[in-house]
Amino acid sequence: MKNNNKPPCWWVDLPETDYPKALDLQLVVVTAKTAGRLEADVILSVEHPRVFTLGRRGGRENLCVSDDFLAEKGVSVVPTDRGGNITYHGPGQLVVYPIIDLNRRRLKVVDFVSGLEQAMIRTAANWGIDAGTDPANRGVWLDGDKLGSIGITVRRGVSFHGLALNVNTDMEPFGWINPCGLNKVRMTSFERHLNGPVAMSDARQCMAENLAAVFGNPLTIRSVEQLYAEIELGD
Amino acid sequence: MKAISELNLPEDVRYTDDHEWAKKIGDVVRMGISDYAQDQLGDIVFVELPEVGSSFDKGEEFGTVESVKAVSELYMPIGGEVTAINDALADAPELVNSDPYDGGWMMEIKASDPAELEALKSKADYLDILKG
Repeated sequence: MKNNNKPPCWWVDLPETDYPKALDLQLVVVTAKTAGRLEADVILSVEHPRVFTLGRRGGRENLCVSDDFLAEKGVSVVPTDRGGNITYHGPGQLVVYPIIDLNRRRLKVVDFVSGLEQAMIRTAANWGIDAGTDPANRGVWLDGDKLGSIGITVRRGVSFHGLALNVNTDMEPFGWINPCGLNKVRMTSFERHLNGPVAMSDARQCMAENLAAVFGNPLTIRSVEQLYAEIELGD
Repeated sequence: MKAISELNLPEDVRYTDDHEWAKKIGDVVRMGISDYAQDQLGDIVFVELPEVGSSFDKGEEFGTVESVKAVSELYMPIGGEVTAINDALADAPELVNSDPYDGGWMMEIKASDPAELEALKSKADYLDILKG
């Protein structure tokens, strides 16, 4: 039987969650999907407490401050298996993890990454921010500064990790790294561009609508409890 | 992006559902990823391969490719011990995009069970998967 119809897609808002705990949840969902225990694609939306994460190929060399300095600031460095180089996550940054069966949707990796960029650009446009792509470097840019980043992994055709859009992010920690391994790249945010913050709940809702539009798939809102229940039922 | 009819799918290699290919060359089996795989991944910037001498079962992850900020895992078409890897990919990972079956081959293995190679898909069967 052909199985290329679009599965349901759930949008799950998480409270502020430590990076490792959110990664664990992603892996639970990925495993449930690759094992055939969860049909739905799942998009997690979250803010993390301050953390630096490295890509599969590292990026620690792009950390410009000492371990002692980071310990004093209470910021950890977490190695990951995603694409891309070092980045920063913190409160006020909208992080979205789309766990999507790309094979089933016949969605090419390049088109998926472009779609994530488009969803960020449309979300910025909702606040009158004219962001765009850069042919030389992935992510979303505004007047030469980086507004949003992408780093994903594809396992058995299922994506995880995702995008990080600077809405009201505290920009100071970006000064402690060469973000994404790019020397002298400057990061920016909605808040910096607009000279004032944006409600995170509005940004989340706008991002959900834009992801649904870009990938042509309506989203159903689920709680994280409902997600866990569904995965356990599928056992 | 290529249409299915534009894909280069040689008759003399075997394919997997995960878009790897394998081909017997003398005593070893050479492998890589298909033209479809490289096309849908986009520009490949890094290929991570295992050490010569390591062994993997069929379907096991043996490495990754990184393209467009995406790390994609690679899976063994058949089981065996790695006898050679394509060192050229360290400096020129784009060979996987430009020449996926020749210059962009990834590694050679000594097959643990030659029957596994025969069980892989022919070009015609692989095309059926791509067409859905």
